[in-house]
Amino acid sequence: MTTAMAQRSATGVPPRMSALHRWGQLRQTSPGRLQIILVMLLVLSILTGLVAGLTTSSAASGTGDLRDRAQPLLIEAETIYTALTDADTTAAQAFLAGGLEPARLTQQYESRIAQATTALTSAARRTPEGSDAAKAVEELARGTARYAALVATARAVNRQGLPVGASYMASASQLNRETLQPQAKDLLQFAQREVTGGYQDARSPWWLMLLLVLITALVFALIAAQRYLSRTTRRTFNVPLVAATGLTAVLVVAGWLVFTNQRGHLSSAEADGSAPIAALAGIRGTILRERADEALTLVARAGRGPYEEDFDRISQSISFADPALDDVEGLMEQARDQHGLFVDRHREIRALDDGGDYDAAVELAVRADTASAFQVLTTTVDDAMKDRKAVFETDIRSAGWGLTALTVLGPLLALAIAALAAIGLRPRLEEYR
Amino acid sequence: MRIVLAATAVLALLGTAACSAASPRREAPVPVLPDGATSAPAPAAPDTSCNPRASLRPSGALPAPGALPAGSRMAEIRRSGHLVLGTSQDAVLFSSRNPLTGRIEGFDVDMGREIAKAIFGDPEKLQIKVVPRSERANWVRDGKVDLVISTMTANCARWKEVDFSTTYYVSGQRVLVAKDSIVKSIDDLDRQTVCAAAGSTSLDNIAKQPGKPIAVAKPTFGECLVAFQQNEVVAVSTDDTILAGLAAQDPYAKVVGPPFTVEPYAIAISKKHPDLTRFVNQVLDRARADGTWAAIYYKWLAGKPPTPPAAQYR
Repeated sequence: MTTAMAQRSATGVPPRMSALHRWGQLRQTSPGRLQIILVMLLVLSILTGLVAGLTTSSAASGTGDLRDRAQPLLIEAETIYTALTDADTTAAQAFLAGGLEPARLTQQYESRIAQATTALTSAARRTPEGSDAAKAVEELARGTARYAALVATARAVNRQGLPVGASYMASASQLNRETLQPQAKDLLQFAQREVTGGYQDARSPWWLMLLLVLITALVFALIAAQRYLSRTTRRTFNVPLVAATGLTAVLVVAGWLVFTNQRGHLSSAEADGSAPIAALAGIRGTILRERADEALTLVARAGRGPYEEDFDRISQSISFADPALDDVEGLMEQARDQHGLFVDRHREIRALDDGGDYDAAVELAVRADTASAFQVLTTTVDDAMKDRKAVFETDIRSAGWGLTALTVLGPLLALAIAALAAIGLRPRLEEYR
Repeated sequence: MRIVLAATAVLALLGTAACSAASPRREAPVPVLPDGATSAPAPAAPDTSCNPRASLRPSGALPAPGALPAGSRMAEIRRSGHLVLGTSQDAVLFSSRNPLTGRIEGFDVDMGREIAKAIFGDPEKLQIKVVPRSERANWVRDGKVDLVISTMTANCARWKEVDFSTTYYVSGQRVLVAKDSIVKSIDDLDRQTVCAAAGSTSLDNIAKQPGKPIAVAKPTFGECLVAFQQNEVVAVSTDDTILAGLAAQDPYAKVVGPPFTVEPYAIAISKKHPDLTRFVNQVLDRARADGTWAAIYYKWLAGKPPTPPAAQYR
């Protein structure tokens, strides 16, 4: 059919169809058919090599981006958010304590500000230039500097016994809660989207599907070529072509191993690393906010107010039984109990304040054992976080296993296949000279 | 600092005394009072439908703490264990948080302690709640506090929501500016930023000035001082009493100009409990008479105490 059409049109429009015409003519002769087979094998193997290189390098860069940029950015965004929240709570408690700021709270505040600024510096490197996230990081850096300056002034003024120190603290706290924390939250959401997108990119199926199609075609072509040769020549096996088939099999097996490994580890990095880290970040944010609400209710000294209502709402919504947290079940059970104790202590504080004994409520709120009751809770959540971070690190490193090697090896194998095809078919072609 | 405070407070009072009669821009006419005792200039608020200084007249003598009339609001408060006082924590000298002890103290708090003493025989039976200025009348009305003593001006608009005691202090609004400023009064602050606390009469008064200064609201007057020190606003304007407290904390600030309003401070009490208002008036009368008022004045504002504002009744 094709031949007939080609012949017909060849008479009509010779220049355009001449390639097709020659192709048709080539199929008529044995050397022509050998030439076609050779060209097809060369094209297929070179394409396979090219696509194998692209597929693995895209998968490697996707995995690498997830490992070196997206997930660390998420962790930094979370650090920025929690550090700022905790700095504000610490400042509020120091204010509550009255008189000179307790050294414990000063140290905690300083270390939180240091954490926030360090995380901001490295987050700046991981956000694309000119993006909303980069702007958020810039604004956060500026705002944090201003916040720290206000707190420093508040302390200096407090030290002179002037009541305006409390107003500096209130202005700083307002800046923190109404500007910095929402910006940090935006950055956190951006980072979360980057991680989700990162997993999608690292697993992108399109290149892999193309590679699969090409490799299948190459295998069929090799087998077909060998069957044709064993039919038309006296030799049953063409050794170079058999070797080429073997190399293709090696490529298939290597690719299968590397990509199955990558996908498996990506899945476990997501399910056992990223997902629990996100859930734990949510829990940590909530408990820090509870503690802040408690302190701010007492600072406002207006009895039960909006912060206490916020406390009630969020302490009911907190869940330590998230399915994502199954792997740290033990720690989460511990955290639930510790959170229960913390909420009990909070109720005692509220009962004192609502009962009219403000001074006793403040004393209980800033007492060392209340602070340590909260400390053990955050430590438990931190431990769970560390555990999941380690799992993520291990999985994401394992996911990258073999990808770099295959990026080089894939094209090299394909070149070897092409060379072997040429070596195998050349002597047969020579026979027709 | 004590000396600075004393000096500023005295200056502030001299200012009030010297200028309250001569101020050319008082908008409301001076009402002639029925008892003819003292003339009381109306506040700058447009609502002049009443005499905001005239409170409910007490009957009989002040009952002893152990002999409060049965079924009265005072007896109820005594049963509840403490008197809930709504005040602020940023009006230095009147009610502010002592940064060293964390306690709220000042002229207003001591007034509250006098009332607690009259109900319980113990001035310590006082529970302090800090009320946002904009919520003062609401909290009294809703019973979240038994009374509000918080440099609160009695005016006709507020009389519609709550009852007031007799006047326990008279203040006037002035302006705080930088020491090197050429501003001499609120008239020199045309289209410049002037801070006051949200919900205060001072904030409304700023916007009403003919020079149209730009009123900037902050949650508290302390935060106004922060804004002033951070060069966010040019001036702070409110009652001279509060300004004296702010100026005492900033050696680069001064209080200038004549008082351009008259602010009679009174204690706000729910309209549901006129018996409590009458009782509080009795306590104030006693404090004026036996020198307690003068002692509290001397303790917080220093200088020779003036004659306390006379009680006026309906």
